[in-house]
Amino acid sequence: MHGQADRRSEAMRSASEGTRRRAFTGLWVAALLAILSFLVIYPVFMLLLGALTDTNPVVDGIRLSLSHLSVANFLAVLANPNVGEALLNTLIACGGGTLIAVAIGLLFSWIVVRTNTPFKGFIAAASILPLFAPPLVAGVAWAILGSPKTGLINTMFKWMGSDLRIDLYSMWGLVFVFGIYYAPYVYMFTSSALRNMDPSLEEAAEISGASAFATLFTVTFPLIMPAIVSGMLLSFIVMLGIYGIPAVLGAPTNLNVLTTYIFKLTNWSPPLYNTAAAVAIILMVVTGLLVYLQQKLLSGRSYTTVAGKAFRPRSLDLGPWRWLTFALGVVYLLVVVVLPSLALIVAAFRKFMFIRDAASLFDMRQYSLMHFESIFDNPLTMRSIYNAVEVGVITAVVGGALAFAIGYTIHRTRVAGRGAIDLISTLPVAIPGLVVGVAYLWAWIGVPGGLYGTIWILALAFIARFMPDTVKALSTSFLQIHRELEEAAWVCGRGMLGTIATIVLPLARPGVLASMTLLFVLAIRELGSSLFLYTSNTMVMSVLLLDYYEGGNVGKTAAFSLVQTVLLGVLIGGANWLSRGSAQRSAARTG
Amino acid sequence: MTATLEVTDLRKQFAIGRPAIDGVSFGVPAGEIVVLLGPSGCGKTTTLRCVAGLEHPTGGEISISGRVVSSPARGILVPPRARNLGMVFQSYAVWPHMTARQNVIYPLKHRTIGRSDAARMVEDALALVGLSDYADRPVVALSGGQMQRVALARSMVYRPQLLLLDEPLSNLDAKLRLRLRDDLRVILKQTGMTALYVTHDQAEAVVLGDRIGVMRDGKLLQMDTPDVIYNRPADLFVANFTGATNELAGTLVACNGKYGVVDFGDGRQGEVALCQTLAPDEKVRIALRPENIAIGRPDGANTFSVKVLDRRYQGTQTAYGIELFGKRLEAVELGTAARHQVGVEAQVALPRECLWAYRDVGPAATD
Repeated sequence: MHGQADRRSEAMRSASEGTRRRAFTGLWVAALLAILSFLVIYPVFMLLLGALTDTNPVVDGIRLSLSHLSVANFLAVLANPNVGEALLNTLIACGGGTLIAVAIGLLFSWIVVRTNTPFKGFIAAASILPLFAPPLVAGVAWAILGSPKTGLINTMFKWMGSDLRIDLYSMWGLVFVFGIYYAPYVYMFTSSALRNMDPSLEEAAEISGASAFATLFTVTFPLIMPAIVSGMLLSFIVMLGIYGIPAVLGAPTNLNVLTTYIFKLTNWSPPLYNTAAAVAIILMVVTGLLVYLQQKLLSGRSYTTVAGKAFRPRSLDLGPWRWLTFALGVVYLLVVVVLPSLALIVAAFRKFMFIRDAASLFDMRQYSLMHFESIFDNPLTMRSIYNAVEVGVITAVVGGALAFAIGYTIHRTRVAGRGAIDLISTLPVAIPGLVVGVAYLWAWIGVPGGLYGTIWILALAFIARFMPDTVKALSTSFLQIHRELEEAAWVCGRGMLGTIATIVLPLARPGVLASMTLLFVLAIRELGSSLFLYTSNTMVMSVLLLDYYEGGNVGKTAAFSLVQTVLLGVLIGGANWLSRGSAQRSAARTG
Repeated sequence: MTATLEVTDLRKQFAIGRPAIDGVSFGVPAGEIVVLLGPSGCGKTTTLRCVAGLEHPTGGEISISGRVVSSPARGILVPPRARNLGMVFQSYAVWPHMTARQNVIYPLKHRTIGRSDAARMVEDALALVGLSDYADRPVVALSGGQMQRVALARSMVYRPQLLLLDEPLSNLDAKLRLRLRDDLRVILKQTGMTALYVTHDQAEAVVLGDRIGVMRDGKLLQMDTPDVIYNRPADLFVANFTGATNELAGTLVACNGKYGVVDFGDGRQGEVALCQTLAPDEKVRIALRPENIAIGRPDGANTFSVKVLDRRYQGTQTAYGIELFGKRLEAVELGTAARHQVGVEAQVALPRECLWAYRDVGPAATD
C-alpha cells in the first residue's frame, strides 16, 4: 500500500516536472523568436513598408502608411533612369571584378596546390591577406596611387619619361580594385577543392594523351567547377554590398553603384527615405537570389573526387618557369599590400601631397607628423575610436551570447520551432550591411525616446548583420564536442543548463572566444550599416574616416587609415592567436 | 601490334628513407599478363607508376616496344601522354563530370582519329566490357563495378601497346571482385593485350597472371608462372606470402639431389625438398602449407605424431591448431564435417615435396 502511494506521488511529480519542462522550453523558443523578430524581421518589414508607400510609417503612423500602400512608389523607383544606371554600373563593376577575382584566385590556387613553385607558403599567405584590408582603406590607398592627376603611379610614370597614365577614378579602376581585393574568396574555395581532389583523375587524363594544359581545362577545372562558381558568387555578393571602394573611386566622376546611390538618396535634402528603401530592396533581392543560388550549389550534388586512401597532392615540376609563378605571387603581394601601404605612409607623413618629381619624394624635409597631430587634435577622433570599441564590445558580448544560445538550440536540442529559429537567424546572409543600416533607420528613426542616436542601435544592427556567421562559427566550436560528453553529464544527474555551464562552455571556450573576438573586429570595421545610424555623438572610426576623405584632406585621411589599419592588425593578430586560424574563414564570409 | 616491356635495374629513391625500388629488372613479352604481387609498401605500385611515367625513376632503364622511355643516366624521360599506354587506377579515376561514353572517347580526342572511327572504337570498347546499354549515363549514376569497367574501356579504347592496372579491384566488394577478376582475364586475353597488373591479393594474382612477380622492400624476389610460385617458391618470404604460413626449424643432416634430411631436434628426422642449394650442417627453415597437412593419415616416411590444440569450424573447411615438435602449426581440412577432436593425439603424414627447406637467414625472413 505504502509503496504504491509512493510510486503514485513519484509519477505525479515527474508528470509535473514534464509540464514544467515543456513550459520552460516553450518560453525559451518564444523568447528567441521574439528577439530574432525584433532584430531581423521588424526592421526588414519596416523597410519593405517604406518602399511601398510614400509616407513614413514611423512618423505618420502605421495605419496611414498601410492605407497608402501601393507599388506605385516602387514602380516609380524602378522607372527612374538614375536607379537603372546605378544598377547597371553595379552589375558591370561586380561582374568585371568577379572575372578578375576568378582569374587571380584560380591561378594562385593552382600555383599553391599543384606546382613546385618556391616559397609556396608565402604565396598562400599573400593570397588571403587582402581579406583583412578594410574596403574603405583599400579604396583610399588606391585613390592616392591611381588618381589621374596627383596619383603616385602617374607621378612615377612622368618621372620615368613615360607617356603612360592611369585613371582609377573610373569604371576600370573600380573593376580592378574589386578584382584584386576579392580574389581570396575564389582562392579559398578552389584551393581546398584542388587539394581534396584525387590526383589519379588528372593522371588518367595525362595517360590518355592529354597535355598538361588540356588536362587543366578538360578535367581539373570542370571537376572543381562547383567550387569555382560558389567562390565566384560569393565574391560577387560581397562586392554588391561594399560601400567604401565605390564611394572613394566613383565619387570624383559621379559614378554611382547601388550602395553609393542609396546613401546619396538619404543625404539629399529633403532626404528621399522612401526611394532609398526601394533601392535597398532591389539590392537585397539581387543579393538574396545569388545567396540562394550559392547555397543551393553548395548543398547540391558535388562531385565526390576524394578517393578512399590518403594521397599526396600532385606537384607539377615547372622547371625554370617556377620562378615566373613565384614572381606572380610577389607582384600580387606588391599590388594588394605593399604599394597601398607605401602610398598611405607617404601620404600620411607628407606635408603636402603635391609631388613635383621623384627626388622630392625622398626629400625628408617634406615629411612630418602634422597630419597625425591634426587628427588627434580633433576631439571627434578619440571619441570615434572609443565609440567603435564600445560598440565592438557590446556586439561581441551580446551577439556572441545570443549566437551561442541560437546555435545550441538549433544543433543540440529537438525543441519545436528550432527550424524557424534557424531560418530567421540565417536570413541576414542575404542582406548587405548597407541595407541593414537603411532598415534599422526605418525601424527606429521616428520612435521617440527610442534607440536612434544611441550606441545600441549600431550594436543591434551589427548583431543582426553578423548573426549567421557568428552562429556558424560558434556552432562549429561546440559541434566538435562529442555528444556523448554531454550525455555522460546528464547521466551523472546534471541538467541541461548545468551541463552547458560545466561541460560545453569550458570545452568550447577557445572557439567561443575566437568567434567573439572576430565579431568585435568585424563590428569595429563595419562601414555600410554605420553610415545611416550614427549621429555626432555616436560617430565611429569607419564613418569618421569617410568624413575625412570627403573633407578632401588626403593627408589626414591617410593618417587615420594607418591608425585604423594598425589597430585592426593588432586585433586580428590577437584573434588569430586565440583561434589559431579558425577565425579566418568566417572573416572571409562577411567581407 | 602488342609489344614488350623491358625494365632494367630500376631504382627509385624518394627524398627520405630507403629506396622505394631497389634494382628491379623484368620483361613482359607481347601478349602476356604479368602481375606484381607484394605487401603494401613493397614498391610494386611505384614500379608501375614509373612505367607509366607518373613517377620519375632515379636509376635504371625502362623501354616499351624497344623504345627507351625512361633512363635517368641518359637523360631520357618521355612524358606519360607520349608513351602510348593505358592505365586503370585503384580509385577508378573516371571523370564524374562526363558520361560513360565521354569518358571513353576522351583519349581518342587527343589523338588523330577520325570522328566515325572514334565512334566505332568507343562502341567496341564499351561492348567489350559489357556496358553498351549504359553508354550515355553519367558515370556517377553507375555502380562501382560499372565505373571500373568504364575505366577499363577508357584505357583500352585506343589499343595501347601496354596496359597498366593498379589494384583495379581493391575498391570493389568481395563478390563483385571475384566476378570482375574472371571477366578481366577474359577481356585481356580476348584483346591480346600486354598487361602489367599490381595487387596485394594472391588469389587475384594466380587467376589473372601468366607470370607473377613477388616483391618485397623494393626488390623483386621471384618472377615465374603461378604454379612455380606456388610449388617452388624461391625463398621463405615468397612461400609465406603465397600461403605457406607454417614454419619449422631444423638442421640439414644429409643432401640427396633435390631432397635432403633434416633434424628437427631430439633426433626426430624427416625428408624435405631443397628449394635452394644447401649443404649439410646448415640451419634451415621449412615452410609448409596448412592444406598439405593431413591429420590422421599415417602414410609414407614422414609420419609424425601431433596433438590437436584447437579447432575452428569454418563451414566448407575446418582449421586446426596442432602441435608438432613443440611448435604450433595451422592445418586446414576441406569438407563440411569436422573430423578431429580437440586434445587427441594423431598421426600426420607430411609428404616430402610439401616441406620446403630454405637457408635460415635470421628472424627477419618471416614477417
